[in-house]
Amino acid sequence: MNGPRSRPGPLGLYLHLPFCRAKCPYCDFYSLAGRTDLVSAYLDALARQAHHMAELPWTGSRQVSTIFFGGGTPSILAPAELAGLLALCRRLFPVPAAGVETTVEVNPATVERRALDLLRRAGFNRVSIGVQSLDDRLLGRIGRVHTAADAVRTVRSARQAGFANLGLDLMYGLPGQDLATWRRTLEQALALVPDHLSLYELTLEEGTPFARRAAAGELLLPDEEEVLAMMALGRELAEGAGLHRYEISNYARPGHECRHNINYWQNGSYIGLGAGAVSCLSGRRLTAVADVEAFCRRLAAGEPVWSDEERLTPAARFRETVVMGLRMIRGVDLAGLEARFGMDARSHYGPTLERLLDQGLLAVRDGRLCLTGQGLPLANRVMAELV
Amino acid sequence: MKNIRNFSIIAHIDHGKSTLADRMIQRCDMVTDREFKDQLLDSMDIERERGITIKSQTICLPYTARDGVTYTLNLVDTPGHVDFSYEVSRALSSCEGALLLIDAAQGVEAQTLANLYLAMENDLEIIPVINKIDLPAAEPEKVARSIEEDLGLDRESIRLCSAKTGEGVDELLEAIVTLLPPPEGDPEQPLEALIFDANYDPYRGTVISVRIVNGRVRAGDQILFMSNNAAYRVEEVGLFRLNREPQKELTAGQVGYIIAGVKTVSDTRPGDTITHQQRPCPAPLPGFREVQQVVFSSIYPISTDDYEDLASALEKLKLNDAALTFQKDSSAALGFGFRCGFLGLLHLEVVQERLEREFGISLILTVPTVKYRFYLRDNTMQEIDNPAYFPDPATIERIEEPFIKATIHIPERYMGAVMSLCMERRGENTNYHYPMPGRIEFTCELPLAEVIYDFYDRLKSVTQGYGSFDYELIDYRPSDLVKLDILVNGEQVDALSQLIHRMHARERGLKACESLKREIPRQMFKIAIQAAVGGNIVARTNISALRKDVTAKCYGGDISRKRKLLEKQKAGKKRMKTVGNVEIPQRAFLSVLKSDQ
Ligand SMILES: Nc1nc2c(ncn2[C@@H]2O[C@H](COP(=O)(O)OP(=O)(O)O)[C@@H](O)[C@H]2O)c(=O)[nH]1
Ligand code: SF4
Ligand SMILES: [Mg+2]
Repeated sequence: MNGPRSRPGPLGLYLHLPFCRAKCPYCDFYSLAGRTDLVSAYLDALARQAHHMAELPWTGSRQVSTIFFGGGTPSILAPAELAGLLALCRRLFPVPAAGVETTVEVNPATVERRALDLLRRAGFNRVSIGVQSLDDRLLGRIGRVHTAADAVRTVRSARQAGFANLGLDLMYGLPGQDLATWRRTLEQALALVPDHLSLYELTLEEGTPFARRAAAGELLLPDEEEVLAMMALGRELAEGAGLHRYEISNYARPGHECRHNINYWQNGSYIGLGAGAVSCLSGRRLTAVADVEAFCRRLAAGEPVWSDEERLTPAARFRETVVMGLRMIRGVDLAGLEARFGMDARSHYGPTLERLLDQGLLAVRDGRLCLTGQGLPLANRVMAELV
Repeated sequence: MKNIRNFSIIAHIDHGKSTLADRMIQRCDMVTDREFKDQLLDSMDIERERGITIKSQTICLPYTARDGVTYTLNLVDTPGHVDFSYEVSRALSSCEGALLLIDAAQGVEAQTLANLYLAMENDLEIIPVINKIDLPAAEPEKVARSIEEDLGLDRESIRLCSAKTGEGVDELLEAIVTLLPPPEGDPEQPLEALIFDANYDPYRGTVISVRIVNGRVRAGDQILFMSNNAAYRVEEVGLFRLNREPQKELTAGQVGYIIAGVKTVSDTRPGDTITHQQRPCPAPLPGFREVQQVVFSSIYPISTDDYEDLASALEKLKLNDAALTFQKDSSAALGFGFRCGFLGLLHLEVVQERLEREFGISLILTVPTVKYRFYLRDNTMQEIDNPAYFPDPATIERIEEPFIKATIHIPERYMGAVMSLCMERRGENTNYHYPMPGRIEFTCELPLAEVIYDFYDRLKSVTQGYGSFDYELIDYRPSDLVKLDILVNGEQVDALSQLIHRMHARERGLKACESLKREIPRQMFKIAIQAAVGGNIVARTNISALRKDVTAKCYGGDISRKRKLLEKQKAGKKRMKTVGNVEIPQRAFLSVLKSDQ
């Protein structure tokens, strides 16, 4: 646990900015709407936490391989504030001189051209835009505070600002959405020539207004067949536009896959800064308290910020790594898994794995265990047997 | 003997029986305050929660009355449910009197009436007691009038008290001494002791609760159980104080216990007579009946690994529950389990709850069945209580099912509702009379199978709690019985088969299909669910294939939470039974069991 590991692997750095203009009714991320008054205290707290983490022997010595500013809506902060935070991270943590993938999430209508210029100049080289839909009627229904035109303008501005790596997030399975509206959104989005596309099926997360309304029968959601058709259409159009599917919900032009996220799916190491952010280091997973005020208070008082710590047994970590790895289309490298954990998947899972292979839900291709086309839409069923 | 009073308390649930018993125990200085724990008599968890007493409990209180004499009061607490009415009647027959306890705010509620009638049948002297007079809503005057008018009891005998504050409890104890008769009996006659209960003690074996009717018994005596001629040597006799208190002897009129090396409670039979081997009494005491299991169901552990635990748990329960029977059973769907016999559905539920709660075993029960008689073409008769043994229909000459005579006491206004409930349940030969103005005693002959499910609950609901229900088995009558099978993807799930009247087959089949559809989660293929009688499908439904179960997003912050969800899904799968290739959760089995409600 102390000293450099034999195989350091990638180390992600994530910074959580839990502020939004309004809370979307389907979202269960930790974020606050309309509390920008807390921002400056939060920035102080983040800086403190960053210093603290950088001093730990087992983080400070490792090179950071990706940086991701997520939220919330990071672009609610002033570009100078984001630039300052990035500069701080680069000062405190070892970042290779050649630069690393550095992403910032932005929401349409929260940034204009000038802001994007500043972010690009500050060192962000990848932008991920929360478009969700290009249908204004649907955007209204899902409580988004921007329009399709805002989204298009933001994409153009980002390109003009020099973001050569640009991703869009879209959602399907939305109330009132049908295959035709989804097709239009996809076509318009692809016409913007993104390098990366995340196509997320709407998930009714427990405790969200959407989940409550759905339970009360107030949401007119497309049925399973239609959602499956949307899933298939998304894949067809994305791949037709040269974006290949590399994860259950993610598509990219070759070479533009999000490395930061791939590190999560490989169950790698990462440092998470901010309220509710998770760090995973040396087999420990630590979660900071998901409450901005408590987070600030604790850091100011010099108290630990963690609200949860998880330390899995090697076998459980092995299984978790398999399950996470299966989210990627190419799957998990069996030899790599064995090298990392000293465990062989086939003997660990025995007949369960054989059955899933026989059922055609899993396959082994080029030494990698992966979900088949049939297995992908049923991923949870397969994963529940391997977890 | 003239200083003994044996009595019992009859009360509708929550009218304060346990509280009053506690108060009397305290009044008689039986417990120090430190030992005092509310509701001393209700010991088991389940009993406390449901307010039912399954076993009789007895306590012997020394009470010094105003006349200066110290009396021995034996309070026999009885179970209070129709499933146990034979046990109640045996316990009551060990007494000379009973307190009929009525809540001053609630008034007369008829759930206790069945026990009141049992008490009257046993010729007990009854003291009506109005309890909870401390309540602001108490209406003792109104309740007294209703006791007089509705129950036909003598107004002079009514006593008022508050078990909570203790007010009136002294007068009540006085009334017990003055109004209730002392026991009769002759200590010099041959021994006649009535067994009214038995409890298992891990160190001493069975502790038999007895009422000595005639004669005397002491340690060293050779005794005989008259029902089966089993002989034992008495090791100890004594009284039920807070703990057992050995005595030199028990004599006529006393209530106490006998320990005689009887291994299990099942070796004793409530209602049996104990006498001396050397000098037996001429005839057993009247009213003895063999315990009859009337409801049968198979119990399987959800996890086949729990089979051994289930076996030993049942053994342990059986030590103290003579009415429970079990034998090994097996099912293609569920593996090994036990076929169990119960006194009724409540008894079944109590056993099920104790197995799950006290022994931590998750169970699947099959649909409860009564015992049918199959007359076969080869002139033999088979008694069958398990659908698995339903004979080849071609070999069946005729089938008979057990009938009961139900006795229902109700206020007159519920007559119509009760009559139509009975008709719905294939009732015949209805009869009624008025034991007192405004009250009806309604009798009806019904197939036992029709009452074991929810009859009592339905009766309570159509009579708003005012219906009392008691029954006795009378005979067997021809029945058009069929075996209803459930098929999942073409495979018969033996544990879901049920024996039912042809009239109900389709309806029950539909309900079973619907319950299963609701409870079986979708799987990766379509599942056909069918109900069949013989080879004929009487109901069917489908569960469509699951096409999609995938989490859209999972990034660093979600990994633990998403993993835990998957682990939960995995654990849920472990609790399922696989039939063919279909996974069926425990809930689904239980839903079929409950599909009548
Ligand atoms: N106010 C009042 N409450 C009483 C009295 N006797 C019993 N209770 C309450 O009534 C409830 C039921 O009493 P319990 O003895 O358990 O009734 P049981 O079901 O007949 O055994 C309990 O909450 C008692 O505390 C009484 O005389 N006065
Ligand atoms: S903007 Fe994003 S983080 Fe904020 S509430 Fe909406 S979905 Fe959630
Ligand atoms: Mg009680």
